Amino acid sequence: MSTATFSQAALEHLDSLYGYALILTRDQTAAEDLVQETYLRAVRAFGQLMANSNLKSWLFVIMRNAWLNQLRHTRSGPRFVELDDENVESVYQNDRVNEDPHVVYLRKLEREQIRLAIADLPELYREIIVLRDLEGFSYQEIATMLSCPAGTVMSRLGRARAKLRRALVSWQPRAAARAV
Amino acid sequence: MSKCEDILARMILYLDDELEAQECGNIRVHLAGCASCRASFDSERRLLENVRGCGPLHVAPPELRARVEKLVSDRPMARFAPPELRERIRRTVEHFGSRNPRLRFVRPAIAMAAVLAVAMFVGLWLLNRSNRGPILRGPSQFAMLAADTHQRHIRGQLPLELVSDVPEQISNWFAGKVPFAVKLPNYQESSGQEKTYRLEGARLVGFKNDYAAYVAYQMRTRPISLVVTSDKVAQPTDGEQIVAKGITFHYNSINGLKVLTWSDRGLTYALVSDLEERGQQSCVVCHQGVKDQDFIESLKPR
Repeated sequence: MSTATFSQAALEHLDSLYGYALILTRDQTAAEDLVQETYLRAVRAFGQLMANSNLKSWLFVIMRNAWLNQLRHTRSGPRFVELDDENVESVYQNDRVNEDPHVVYLRKLEREQIRLAIADLPELYREIIVLRDLEGFSYQEIATMLSCPAGTVMSRLGRARAKLRRALVSWQPRAAARAV
Repeated sequence: MSKCEDILARMILYLDDELEAQECGNIRVHLAGCASCRASFDSERRLLENVRGCGPLHVAPPELRARVEKLVSDRPMARFAPPELRERIRRTVEHFGSRNPRLRFVRPAIAMAAVLAVAMFVGLWLLNRSNRGPILRGPSQFAMLAADTHQRHIRGQLPLELVSDVPEQISNWFAGKVPFAVKLPNYQESSGQEKTYRLEGARLVGFKNDYAAYVAYQMRTRPISLVVTSDKVAQPTDGEQIVAKGITFHYNSINGLKVLTWSDRGLTYALVSDLEERGQQSCVVCHQGVKDQDFIESLKPR
């Protein structure tokens, strides 16, 4: 991979890495610092990236290792984060404008509820849902990232999804009532 | 296992694209002819589609994007050789090694010398070891983590995530956050004795790619820390060993702190304090009862 390709490809994963950093640090400033640290390490270690290897997965591994290192040495522990609604909202500004506004509204409401349900999950569950379902990593890639067997990934993912399903099922009747 | 049970068990692997093509085909054939499995499959698929469609959860702020873009474009020279150069060097070395007869002779000679050196070193070490008493090795990684966590908490660098003096509340808070069950006893309440310590609260601490449970106590203004993890992750193998009540306790002094580590019923514990002797009095946070005094006494240095 050439240096120019690397720069461009690495930047494509910025939002994903920022989201993962928020899960790990639970603090917006700390997450930003962690993202910067990740890119700094990636830039320095670029020569170690083998041809045809998965850049995204490699960046996530770097971030997790950097965070574990910070946990051992950091001077301030993790704190709970207030999600930045403005940033999240901007993601949905490009909703398909030609659709029925009511359908768009319902979809937005549904996404928001799923987001909230994911945010409410215990950290280990939230991490695995994000890595598998939002970032699309395979079981093996996640196992490498988390330094655990693929079986652990499967079982943790199963428990996380069951919890998420329960949270969403308990929401749906209320949401439907509001929407009508 | 019936065909349907088997399909349902593998359905999630199918949806996660973790099955071979042939297995995917088998599942598709079964789903086409089984309404019940099809209903479960559709429900699971809808959930995953909804979850997968709700991302991204966050967007990096523009200032961060600008910072990272600058960092990537202004990057210094990589400290590691690029893969192409690495491959070229590897090929050159292999080629040279196979063509040069002198090097072929030298390499085994170096290897043999190295083996002899290692053997001599190990022999001397074993000889030296046999002349000594029981070996007291350095503290385990878990004991080090516990001492470090204790110190950082005292310095205010690790604030508690839950401030509570109710053991049940703390036990419940850990549920789902750590991959094991934490149940703090409440000896004071049941025995009705005078309070000699105070429960302060809890937080999570990172250890070996997972979380360990951290609980903070105070005993007459002197802090006591309890760190708990699964015995699959940490085993107390080092330090001075004391057996009491059928449990082997490992005692270490780390940076002036008294650290007791032990494993019991699937969990490994580390108790840290700056109390006297081996810090055995810190055990009262879980062993306040009169009958436990003998046990605490047994941890005293003889």
